[in-house]
Amino acid sequence: MEIEAIIEKNAVTEAKTEGLLFRGFEKMLEGRSPFDAVYFTQRICGICSTAHSIASSMALEDALGVAVSEQGRYLRDIIHACEFLQNHIRHFYQYTVPDYIKLPQENPLFETDHNDFRLPKTKNDLIVQHYFDSLEISRSAHEMLAILGGKAPHNHGVFIGGATSEASAENISFMRSIADNIRSFIISTMIPDAYAIAEYYPEYFNNGRGYGNLLTYGCFDGYEKLGTLYVDPLVYVDGSVQNLNPRWITENIHSSWYTAKRETYTPEQEIPEPDIKKVGAYSWVKAPRYAGVPCEVGPLARMWLSGEYRHGISTMDRTLARVLEAKKLSEIILTLLNNLIPGVSVQKEYAVPQSAFGAGLTDTTRGALGHWVRIENGLIEQYQIITPSTWNLSTRGNDMLPGPCEKALISTLIENTDNPVEIGRIIRTFDPCVSCATHIFAKGNLVKSFKVVP
Amino acid sequence: MNEKNINCPNITMRLETASVLVNKAIDAVTMNKIQKRNLIWLELTGCSGNIISLLDGADPDFKSLATQMVKIVYDNSLMAAEGEFAMEKLFNMLGKDYILAVEGAVSTKDGGLYNVIGRFKGESITAYRAIKELGEGAAYVIAVGTCASDGGISAARPNPSKCVGVQDLLNRKVIKLPGCPCHPDWFMGTLAYILLFGEPALDERARPLMFYSTLIHDCCPRHPFFEQGVFAEKLGDETCMFKLGCRGPVTRVDCPIRKWNDRVNWPIGDNSPCIGCAMFGFPDKMKPFISYNTT
Repeated sequence: MEIEAIIEKNAVTEAKTEGLLFRGFEKMLEGRSPFDAVYFTQRICGICSTAHSIASSMALEDALGVAVSEQGRYLRDIIHACEFLQNHIRHFYQYTVPDYIKLPQENPLFETDHNDFRLPKTKNDLIVQHYFDSLEISRSAHEMLAILGGKAPHNHGVFIGGATSEASAENISFMRSIADNIRSFIISTMIPDAYAIAEYYPEYFNNGRGYGNLLTYGCFDGYEKLGTLYVDPLVYVDGSVQNLNPRWITENIHSSWYTAKRETYTPEQEIPEPDIKKVGAYSWVKAPRYAGVPCEVGPLARMWLSGEYRHGISTMDRTLARVLEAKKLSEIILTLLNNLIPGVSVQKEYAVPQSAFGAGLTDTTRGALGHWVRIENGLIEQYQIITPSTWNLSTRGNDMLPGPCEKALISTLIENTDNPVEIGRIIRTFDPCVSCATHIFAKGNLVKSFKVVP
Repeated sequence: MNEKNINCPNITMRLETASVLVNKAIDAVTMNKIQKRNLIWLELTGCSGNIISLLDGADPDFKSLATQMVKIVYDNSLMAAEGEFAMEKLFNMLGKDYILAVEGAVSTKDGGLYNVIGRFKGESITAYRAIKELGEGAAYVIAVGTCASDGGISAARPNPSKCVGVQDLLNRKVIKLPGCPCHPDWFMGTLAYILLFGEPALDERARPLMFYSTLIHDCCPRHPFFEQGVFAEKLGDETCMFKLGCRGPVTRVDCPIRKWNDRVNWPIGDNSPCIGCAMFGFPDKMKPFISYNTT
């Protein structure tokens, strides 16, 4: 991942996000057994692997006509929520904190080349301590995931019908003790740390806004008995909240290294072919649109659309929404654990139809994730995946509208053009699932080139 | 978490291998008996799953690795330095002493352009170029995970970006730690062994024998079901997964003993078949992962 930004008179005038990794999972899935997709697609991303197993299982349930029991959903959603916690805690401490807190410089891992660290030493050093303390907490979220999921990353427990293992009184109480511990850490440590940073970097509430269009496919929603514990499928465009209509989701490849019969297509219509020599393209990332509009996805979108957080849309609001969402998720896990019935098996022997189509749409740590599968002769004929980072790091479509992350960078004020720390901080709040290098151009020259990590 | 380990002292003892080695290495570094060596963690064409798995290490854990055992001079996801400054740190290691851990396969199509890991002095650095330049000069090269060891899922048919394992591009020994992801103990134990004693004993495919010498099937707590012919008919059954396509009988690694995530569980313990993720040829030679009615 690379960003190219042009700065003129202390403001970003142009920004391009360039995805520089292509593996071609959609092509690899063609001809495989549909069941294998649950395990295969997890390998798209080791940070959010569970999300892919969930979207894949949902798409296959749709295609196979499998109705998931409430207990099946609880089991699966607990596994998913564990991944949210692991991701959010690591994103905050290992990826966000180093932007604002001076870590021990004698360790080569923490050497930096800028000095915009503003917290007083005692507060700074306390958060340094929490950087290390958090490692045990985030890893315990994966431990909790593995109790029902077998292992993490790349779990085995999420499958068609919900999960492979049933709850037992023993594993429920084990998970509850871990969830309680994580929840205490989030409330007593992580949220105060985030607000402490926010206090010293107030201008970050005024940059990185982007379009302000927000989208979620919904998650932890629509339970028969529990209703919606978090957020329904919603979009916020032009200042109004609307129900999501999945038929308005399209992708465009105008500025991406692909060719296809048409530039704009709905998910089931087209899997474009890679074309690295395409003139005018600048990224492997495509351009998803909702009703023709680029949308931001992720924790802030969900917290806003669910009404949990309405402070604002900005760099710092994105970070605060993420840590507050972690608290919300820890509550959801405890609710789901309280409603699990021990000893209920949700697995059956499933048969693949000769011909079928299914869609699996869910929100996950970084935002809206969709899998669409077409089965012919009992095998995968076509498999479409649109990840959350594709929404946020979208390229320009034939509408020439910048993607949400590009838009969030454009017009950002830069304090010191020799060391534009603002850009990395803004990009990182989108939690891109790929590390990304950034190149800054001013007065036609490359002044700075740096790497932004997830 | 439902089964007890097979109660053989030779097998249960192995659980301690990684933490004993890491503690010994840390002691030796602290007492200046051995030097704190440089470690480069290079992420190429993959999913970041191996660095996430490393962070999940419990005993030993990542903190002791990063602060007490080695100097991590480069890791693109965790390091605070960015871009040119980070790339400079990476290429400054050329000619010095460093151990190279590689995660991810190497994309070779169109000169490697399908995976650019950064830019340095105005040039695009492809994964292909990075491994070529840094691989030969490293004191040791450790392929972490199945993609680095053998191409893995990044090289799955039809292999759109023409990915290969690290060994295919280097004229030197590459220690291989396949597994999708690599278990944190396998990596930290191997690294600690190298620091203390040099190259560990390896099998014919350069996997450390201390972790890769037993078949999953032979140590599987569900082996008695196999012997008695009691087979699972669907996922979720608590018997032998053989007839659902379990790859335990061909997969050589110590999952049944070591388990995952602070040893709480593992795939077969979760009532699902092993998919052979630690095997050469994964995923294509291990598919289909799930099949009902194999007999």
